[in-house]
Amino acid sequence: MTDESVVLLVARTPTLTGTTIRRTITVGWRYLAIGTALSLLLAFLLLAGARSGSAFARTFPLEVPLFAILGSMGGLMTFTSDRTKGVFEYLIAYGVRPRTLFIDGLISTSAMVAIILGLSLLVGFGAADAYGVTLSADLVQSVALYTVPMSFAGALFTATVGMIWASVSTPRTGINSPIGIAPMVGIAPTVLVLVVANTVPPSEFYYVTVGAAAAIIAAVVGLLVMSARLMGRERFLSSL
Amino acid sequence: MSALPVLAPWAGRSNGRDRHRIEFRGVSSGYHGKRVLEDLSFVIEEPAIYVVLGPNGAGKTTLFRTLAGILEPYAGAVEIDGIDIGRHEARTRLQYLSHIDGMPDGLRVEEALRFYATVEGVTDREVERVVRLLGIEELRGRFFSELSQGQKKRVSVARVFLQERCIYLLDEPTSNLDPKLAREIRDLVLALSRDDLVLYSSHNLFEAKEIGKYVLALRGGRVGYFGLLSDLLPAKYLIGIRAEGAEGVLAVSSKRGDYYVQELAGPEEVPKLIAELVAKGLRIREVKEMENPLEDLFA
Repeated sequence: MTDESVVLLVARTPTLTGTTIRRTITVGWRYLAIGTALSLLLAFLLLAGARSGSAFARTFPLEVPLFAILGSMGGLMTFTSDRTKGVFEYLIAYGVRPRTLFIDGLISTSAMVAIILGLSLLVGFGAADAYGVTLSADLVQSVALYTVPMSFAGALFTATVGMIWASVSTPRTGINSPIGIAPMVGIAPTVLVLVVANTVPPSEFYYVTVGAAAAIIAAVVGLLVMSARLMGRERFLSSL
Repeated sequence: MSALPVLAPWAGRSNGRDRHRIEFRGVSSGYHGKRVLEDLSFVIEEPAIYVVLGPNGAGKTTLFRTLAGILEPYAGAVEIDGIDIGRHEARTRLQYLSHIDGMPDGLRVEEALRFYATVEGVTDREVERVVRLLGIEELRGRFFSELSQGQKKRVSVARVFLQERCIYLLDEPTSNLDPKLAREIRDLVLALSRDDLVLYSSHNLFEAKEIGKYVLALRGGRVGYFGLLSDLLPAKYLIGIRAEGAEGVLAVSSKRGDYYVQELAGPEEVPKLIAELVAKGLRIREVKEMENPLEDLFA
């Protein structure tokens, strides 16, 4: 290899984010489809059952994050698969930084959330309008302050916990992936909010929901900081 | 492989190529603080195949990962052409084939190769070239997860040829391959070794003996032997002869399976022995080496 060709090779490592998102859709399309379908089913059930619109306005924004979290599992699945199958080993050898691999996992998870949220809100609000339910300022506020941030925060929390779990654990037969339990860990805070939000007076509703979303976001940031110290490059290698 | 000169245009070039150098200086490396390689030092600079041998756990994969810049050494320095392996410029001089396939889920074979072509910064034309080079045209539209182990290995090996490099780290490149394809891969690797440095690990000692010029044997994370393979003189040279009419000519007590085992001073005595046996009326079907001097490196 001549020095000239070596210089040409010393280019910036290409971004793989777009490819990772496409692969995440392929790998996790079942989760994506089920998460979106359940979210839409909920919207139609609430609209068809209540008609008044109050049940839709109060319940729909609170429950969509659950389906967004479940539906975004493709991000974690892709990360876990890439680690186990040695894809990360190659990418690190090519000069891709481990941190980039971690961040790509979070970005692809966010992309899945964006797809589910986009479809759920678009179709859900469209259906509400068709049913004659007024899209009140409170509903829009709930979606903006809780549904959207909590969906992203909950999914990123699930993905972060799952990725750290996958990276620090040693694969064993039958227990080689966090995919089975990560959704349960991930939706726990959202379920807690559901329970608490339905027991507090309406005046405290926003404090609970927005506070919970902020707490999960803080947890995600904390985990990310912690992961920078926990996740040495050997954590990204397959132990097979 | 007849198509090789066309499909691997760099093969056989020997003029105008820079010499390259790998240097390990007191390198200790491993996982999670536990050292697998301990104070490893060696220099490689002659274009050839360097067979990396050692029992399981000796540190072969760790050596490859450290040299590929995947693992950061706990101590010492790894340099490629005088450049620390931590620098991107050093890494772009080597090509790495892990013992794991490393193919992404959710992609068809051609897409997976394009994925790595993107990482390598090469065009789809190179993907076409390696598809033909490895004879995987019929696999290109199939999902990687659907392939047999041998087919997966072929695709994985194809990635190595996407981009010309000057140092090749090949961790068990022929495992899971049928003999014909293993032979083709070895021919490709031999072509590379004319100009480039090739580190090649294998558990197949006959293969190692066939293609290696140097042996780097690891034992307990340290260099057990590093030198010319030809310098590893066997303590004894055993050949097995499968023949008809051997009773009364060769001792039955020396029989292992279908082979009558004969101890000779060295390979140079084989023609003379065969001539004598044929003169005595033996119809020889096969002659093969029964032991490999490389086995001693595992003792």
